[in-house]
Amino acid sequence: MINYIIRRLLIIPLLLIGVTILIFAMLSLLSPYERASLYIQDIPKRQGAMDEIIKKYGLADPIPVQYWYWMVGRTDKATGEIKGGVLRGDFGWSKVGKSTVTEVIGRRLPATAELALWAAIPMIGIGIWLGVLSAVNHNKLGDQILRVISIVGWSIPTFVFGLLVLMLFYAKLGWFPPERLSEWASQVVQSSQFVRYTQMNTIDALLNLRLDIFFDALRHLVLPVTTLAYLNWAYMLRVTRSSMLDTLNQDYMTTARSKGLSEEVVVRRHALPNALIPVVTVGALLMISLLNGVVITETVFGYPGMGSFLAQAALSLDVVSVLGITLFSSFILVFGNLAADVLYGVIDPRIRLQ
Amino acid sequence: MKVIIQLIKNPTSLAGIILLIAYVVIAAGAPRFAPVPAKSRDPYMIPRDGFSTNPGLPSDKHILGTTEGQYDIYYGIIWGTRTAFRVGVVITLVTVLLGLLVGAMAGFYGGWTDEILMRVTEIFQAFPFLLAAITLTSVLQTIYGRGEAGGITILAQILAFLTFGHNPTKQIDPIQMNILTGMLAIIFFGWMTYARVIRGNILAVKEFEYALAARTIGASNMRILMRHLMPNAVFPVLVLASMDIGSYVLTFAALSFLGLGAQTGYADWGQMISFARNWIPSLAKYWHIFVYPGLAIVFFVLSWNLVGDALRDIMDPRLRSKGA
Repeated sequence: MINYIIRRLLIIPLLLIGVTILIFAMLSLLSPYERASLYIQDIPKRQGAMDEIIKKYGLADPIPVQYWYWMVGRTDKATGEIKGGVLRGDFGWSKVGKSTVTEVIGRRLPATAELALWAAIPMIGIGIWLGVLSAVNHNKLGDQILRVISIVGWSIPTFVFGLLVLMLFYAKLGWFPPERLSEWASQVVQSSQFVRYTQMNTIDALLNLRLDIFFDALRHLVLPVTTLAYLNWAYMLRVTRSSMLDTLNQDYMTTARSKGLSEEVVVRRHALPNALIPVVTVGALLMISLLNGVVITETVFGYPGMGSFLAQAALSLDVVSVLGITLFSSFILVFGNLAADVLYGVIDPRIRLQ
Repeated sequence: MKVIIQLIKNPTSLAGIILLIAYVVIAAGAPRFAPVPAKSRDPYMIPRDGFSTNPGLPSDKHILGTTEGQYDIYYGIIWGTRTAFRVGVVITLVTVLLGLLVGAMAGFYGGWTDEILMRVTEIFQAFPFLLAAITLTSVLQTIYGRGEAGGITILAQILAFLTFGHNPTKQIDPIQMNILTGMLAIIFFGWMTYARVIRGNILAVKEFEYALAARTIGASNMRILMRHLMPNAVFPVLVLASMDIGSYVLTFAALSFLGLGAQTGYADWGQMISFARNWIPSLAKYWHIFVYPGLAIVFFVLSWNLVGDALRDIMDPRLRSKGA
């Protein structure tokens, strides 16, 4: 068990270095002019200013040297100020966000996290429930129907689904508006009595004991959460189904049945816990698809999170912002993967007891 | 042949096959179904009927209506079928070949080659796919926009040749370039699963008795690779991978929807739908601007998925009862 976790941990630095190298390789395709916003906000509009900047920040140095400075930062000899340095959490200046990339991430991450957290609940819950249902009724009508539904669901692009629910429930029925809060609610949230503990509206509302704000925020979340979750429950269903079928065919299932246990107990107590072990590994895959999904979902709903900012920055070719956010997201992914692996080791007795 | 009969017997995959044939017919007969206007410079640019901002409702002249900027939706859907096939087929082909190359090398040679190639694969997998593709697209569009792409121009030329039958000695049209950057980005971050599956299969098959038997009777490496490993470890993967065309079209449509794939006015489904972003409060009235191109994507992707799902069951008997 310990060995397993240590082995997983050892691979992390290697992965992180690899990720940064790949990101920097993309950066180095750019011209020094475009790369300058890694270190500074504006390039002064006077003759020779660019050459000074290239010299000062070494933007024409050999690539490995530049990579090093990009990682650890570069000291301004005149002022002693350190600029840049991914390891210091400085991803450069975002032209679209008009602040540092790190500030943009800090400002926009809570909204995205709120969206993803709410989406994870129906995604995992409904996916597992339907997967078990499908496996227990293997090859019967219910299973076939679910199978067709999941293939159809898999074929609808997120943005088409998002536009569809917007058309029905916002444009036509007016039940669920876009954006994060109603006007009256956002005034309350911005007022001084309301403490922003987490920047996540629903959680802050609960912590401030404002149920009206909580329900308003929730109402605004319904459509984007549905859109983001819909993308994945079909996948979750298939993984649970196949893992469950695998387990149901094991010899110990026959043993359990021959002991005279009811089918209900056999499924719930003997099959399900074992079937869910491989499902945990999907957690990492789900995170990837959440990170991918927020870009589209937030863009469709005009939701002010990290994903919609990434799309906006990419469209304006603000490459430094785009690379910064992608780097940050892959850091999240690498550590998320680690968490899933460790969890897997903890719950799977075959690994735990090694 | 047996596989095809099985596919036709299964009602869901039969539906998929019929849909696919319909799309092939539409793509092949595009000039017949949606005649190109006489003045058109490029048949893939959707003809415009005026420049009014408000989308036009379906009428006799435009049977599925027009989008913002008066692009004819019917024309776009018909010619968009060709774009979908081109983009999907080329991305799948190149991505799978790349995966095959890496996976076969890692699996066949083993040892250090395997170790290094697999670590590299893991690094590529550490990126969220769509984010990475968006990032690379924006980088490529920046450097191509400046006109100094260096060595990468060769890659773009090869891709342009495969996708548009472009003459490699000529400069690439900027309209096509936008599409190619998106495709390159998807390919660059898409090959890893194939590499892993092919490597895994080769490693497994290598240990089977028949591969061992071939080795003991003195078969050469090349013979073992071609006669034993390829048919058992590689071909099934290739056949199944061909069904991924649908999901690559989906990814490319997502890039186009964000404004990073095809340019405004190009016959591309994702690009057409992206107009709908500006009309969200009035979607109840202008639903036609995204529903029709949306249906075109959904049925296209669905047909590949239906056939692919059935194919997976047929090709891999171990999964037959599981449907995984």
